[in-house]
Amino acid sequence: MLVRLRFLIFSLWLGAFAGACAHAATTVVIVSSERSAAYVEAAEALISELERGGLSRYDMLQLTALELSSAGPLTPKLFVALGMEAANALAKAEPRAPVLCTLLPHSSFERVLYGSGRKSSSQFSALYLNQPLSRQLELIRLALPAARRIGVLWGPESQVHATALKALAQAGGLELVEATVGRDESLFTSLKKVLQDADLLLAVVDPQLYNSSSIQNILLASFRAKVPMVAFSPAYVRAGALLALYVTPTQIGRQAAAITRGVLQGKALSATPLYSQEYSVAVNEHVARSLGLNLDADALRERLQSREGTP
Amino acid sequence: MKMVNIRSRMLLAALLPVTLIAVLLTGVFLAVRFGDIDEAHSQRARSLARQLAMASEYGLFSDNITHLQTIANGALREPAVRSVTIVDAQGQILAIAGKPAYITPPALTRQEDEKLDPSTHTNLLLQPIVESQVKLDDLFEGKATDAAAQPQLLGHVLIEFSRDTLLQRERDMLLTGVAITFGGLLFGGFLAVYLGRGVIRPILRVSSMIERIGHGELSARGEVLPDDPLRDVQQGLNQMAERLESGRDELEQRIAMATLELREKKEEAETATLAKSRFLAAASHDLRQPTHALGMFVARLAQLPHDAQTRRLIENLEASVRATQDLLDGLLDISRLDAQAVQVQLRPFALAELFEQLRGGLTLTAVEKGLRLRVRPTGVWLMSDPTLLHRILLNLVVNALRYTREGSVLLACRMAGDGKHARIEVWDSGIGIAPEHHQAIFKEFYQVANAERDRGKGLGLGLNIVERTAQLLGHRLQLRSRLGLGTRFSVQVPLAPLGTALDMPSPFDVKTFHNLAGRVVLVIEDDALAREGLVSLLESWDVRVGVAEGLSTALWHLKKGLVPDVIVSDYRLRDGENGIDVIRQLRVATGRSISACLMSGDTDPNLMQAARDAGLTLLHKPVRPAKLRSLVRRLAADPQADGIDLV
Repeated sequence: MLVRLRFLIFSLWLGAFAGACAHAATTVVIVSSERSAAYVEAAEALISELERGGLSRYDMLQLTALELSSAGPLTPKLFVALGMEAANALAKAEPRAPVLCTLLPHSSFERVLYGSGRKSSSQFSALYLNQPLSRQLELIRLALPAARRIGVLWGPESQVHATALKALAQAGGLELVEATVGRDESLFTSLKKVLQDADLLLAVVDPQLYNSSSIQNILLASFRAKVPMVAFSPAYVRAGALLALYVTPTQIGRQAAAITRGVLQGKALSATPLYSQEYSVAVNEHVARSLGLNLDADALRERLQSREGTP
Repeated sequence: MKMVNIRSRMLLAALLPVTLIAVLLTGVFLAVRFGDIDEAHSQRARSLARQLAMASEYGLFSDNITHLQTIANGALREPAVRSVTIVDAQGQILAIAGKPAYITPPALTRQEDEKLDPSTHTNLLLQPIVESQVKLDDLFEGKATDAAAQPQLLGHVLIEFSRDTLLQRERDMLLTGVAITFGGLLFGGFLAVYLGRGVIRPILRVSSMIERIGHGELSARGEVLPDDPLRDVQQGLNQMAERLESGRDELEQRIAMATLELREKKEEAETATLAKSRFLAAASHDLRQPTHALGMFVARLAQLPHDAQTRRLIENLEASVRATQDLLDGLLDISRLDAQAVQVQLRPFALAELFEQLRGGLTLTAVEKGLRLRVRPTGVWLMSDPTLLHRILLNLVVNALRYTREGSVLLACRMAGDGKHARIEVWDSGIGIAPEHHQAIFKEFYQVANAERDRGKGLGLGLNIVERTAQLLGHRLQLRSRLGLGTRFSVQVPLAPLGTALDMPSPFDVKTFHNLAGRVVLVIEDDALAREGLVSLLESWDVRVGVAEGLSTALWHLKKGLVPDVIVSDYRLRDGENGIDVIRQLRVATGRSISACLMSGDTDPNLMQAARDAGLTLLHKPVRPAKLRSLVRRLAADPQADGIDLV
């Protein structure tokens, strides 16, 4: 016990010493919102990918958003923020290096920008957690070729995408069945209207609409209306959505590593936020069967990738 | 009582534990069961409420009132559900089924709640309806969104459960429990009574047998049964009773034998006494005749002129005869007392006369012995039999004179302390009587210091006669004496009641002296010697005497013209004649009531009674010449005086 304690103290001391020494030589600072599984996974993927690219582990400093304020002046070549809180913290900290915000959806990044009064730039850019609407529509076309009318509920945060989606849909020959839910409005009325006419429900990232509390009733309602839901997270598939197009934390980490490598090689950050080129597809086979569909997640992903012509 | 006691105790001993256990078990099990039922009820209610809340969630989310109503109606079909109300988050009633007991719904919170209404026996359960949570990855939600912080409250389910069924079940259970308890008690009681009978009956049988033995019924036996729990006791009891019985029988037999022996002994003794009495009577009778005659002869002899030497001899002879006569008189008195032939005739009389008589009769004796007899004058009247009292005092004074060598003898009367009695006292300055002899001197023929039985010291009959006579009269006799310091006898006699006539004639009135000269006396006596003595004595008193041996001779005398003033007849005559019959026949023959008296040597009480009945004076032989003279004188003077017993 005592031996273990001594070892712990010793390793802490060593870590602090190493951290202090690294400050000068640190090239990448990874700031995580927290140390939960998804963040750790993403960070690990990022670090191991960077290591694979020749960067030493000592060149990278890993902090949480809380530790950032007490870390003192940092002069890396790039800040990688994992999650919305880390992005917020960096946005407020006036960093002296470009910031890549990742592991956060589009809406969260927008909120960070809004909160800090910034604009997306090469100094403060993002790699979104969510997938682009175009890819989603593509997946829908692949998985549900018969579906023509796409139901979408817009909330306060997601409404900004309404126009873009409409354009995309029209381009793809699809029809949008839309409804907007105000801040204090009942979700169900709009949902009911959408479900009445739509062939499927496309969930967009908006915590005001889709959250832990509401998801079951939404899924129940869609199931009753025999309208499958296409979502943006495997958790939704587990809860009863038919399909989800998503990016895993490892994929995000790998993508972030690629961007980091570019920045370290002298490339500037893309001023417009990027979507991950790697993605996954999840299928709820029970729901698929109940709808009389036979879908395979891997096959769908591959077909999607081959159609887009990306690796 | 005893039976009840044993029975009730047995019953108590058997029933008390059963009752306790039954009641305790029933109580405990009922309490546990009630608790279980209550808990099951509330669990079922809560789970129903939760189910309803879950089922209503989508209805509320989708605002589907029909759906909610269906749910409510469905819930109402559940047993014990009285009403179901579903309200939304704002408290607006969306669906209602059944009739709620409450008018206004209670305050609704996010907490589960339960309200009990005892008046309507209902439980009201409040179940909040919240959106069910599905775990999603938080990467998309973001922690800042407050919408996700707490699940949204959609509304409430208010469900009322009736406790009636519950209470009914509890009541049923209670009734069942009580019924089982009572059944158990009844069964236990029945068993206790039934089994107890096997023990109680033998106990009762044994105890009743003991009771019977206790009452003396020793023949009581109990049946010895093979399965009797008290078999040994019963056997022992039977043995005991047997022993007791045989012991008692043996005892009774022995007592009977002893009684028989005693009776035989008694009869022997009685026979012996009878023989003795008979012998004594015969002997005294046979002695009387000659002594009687001797007395007469001596009296006659004394009347003749003699020289001094002969006179002294005659005096000695007289003394001897007197002593013999005294002895025979004493024996006669004793035999009369033995025969209970002495009749007590209580009447008032003046003691002075009795005293005077005693003084007159005994002064001479005292003077001869050189003593002084002092009689203190008295004026009291007593209630007693003067004749018997006279005899008592005579004996006492004679005794006193006999045992006093010098000094005086005092006869006096004092009032007793109580004022109702007089105490007649006889004092002497004699030799006294030692205390150890105080009891014995009253026995027959007992004499202190007279082992040689000197005649001059008397016969030892006097005090015995005194005591027995006093007893007969109911007078208390007391003796106070110390050796050498004299003796005092006292007799306590009741006083005559006040106002007694003072002029009653006294039997001791001194009759006017009648000369007997010329009187005619018919003597009837079969014994020649006695006849001759009597005749010569009577003739010495100048009496004309007719002599007869029996009735015939007497009648012959009468025929010859003899007119007797007095008839003196022996009782027992020849040829079975007796004096009483002869006197009667003579009276009949002459046609007048001739004065008469009887003489007899017999001391037979029947004779005395017969004489009394015939109204004749009975003189016992030997008759003292003085007494005869006095009687004849009295009879001759007063023909009616023969009824008075002078003896």
